[in-house]
Amino acid sequence: MFKNLDMFQASYAMARHSGARQAVTAANMANADTPGYRARTLAPFAESYSAGADSNLRTTRAQHLSSSAIAGSSSVQISDTEAAPNGNSVSLEQEMVNSVEIQREHNRALAIYKHSLDVLRLSIGRK
Amino acid sequence: MADFSDAMRITSSGMRAQAARLRHVSENIANADTPGYHRKTISFAAEVEAGQATGAVQTGRMSLDRSDLDQIYDPSHPLANADGNYDGSNVNLLIEIADAREAQRSYEANLKLFDQVRQMSTSLMDLLRR
Repeated sequence: MFKNLDMFQASYAMARHSGARQAVTAANMANADTPGYRARTLAPFAESYSAGADSNLRTTRAQHLSSSAIAGSSSVQISDTEAAPNGNSVSLEQEMVNSVEIQREHNRALAIYKHSLDVLRLSIGRK
Repeated sequence: MADFSDAMRITSSGMRAQAARLRHVSENIANADTPGYHRKTISFAAEVEAGQATGAVQTGRMSLDRSDLDQIYDPSHPLANADGNYDGSNVNLLIEIADAREAQRSYEANLKLFDQVRQMSTSLMDLLRR
């Protein structure tokens, strides 16, 4: 655990992912009455974390282009829910449920992070 | 953190748009008995910046409902024509109330999400606390 702090990396990635997902949900919610707007989703954390290492190009310098910068944010998908007569496919209920789920995911990630931090602190003799 | 400020900006754009919609609804209701008044509607569109959708919503131009005005029979009215009719407004109160309720629901949903994002960023800040 202390060599490369996987625990921190994983919980950091999870918190970041839930932040990004919440932003997508916010966009859906704001456009709930926009004609022709298609609801967007991000892949769940479990999928994107396991795929993330391979599917993205590695960027080792600031000048390198990341694959997500080229394609916008590549992992955002258009969800295939049924659209209302005005072409809008946002379901407010679904978005509410998603946002609560995302918040819980975020809290979970932060709890893990905090706990790892506590363990680290304990190991250097502080409490 | 950037995602949180993004999310907050987007939800507040949603609230602003719904508030603008509600304002037009209230204008329509206030003028329901104004002779010759056409009801106002506004359109929503996804905000685009430098060719990319930002995720926020913006209100488009205000437009007037072109449907026929109500003919009200009142020969004693100063605006009455030869048949004794004058032009009322084309505001249908039922539609306006339903529209206002829908705007309220969407506004509440945006507000709820704003609160949730705020809670998330607060809990992130709490990590610094010991």
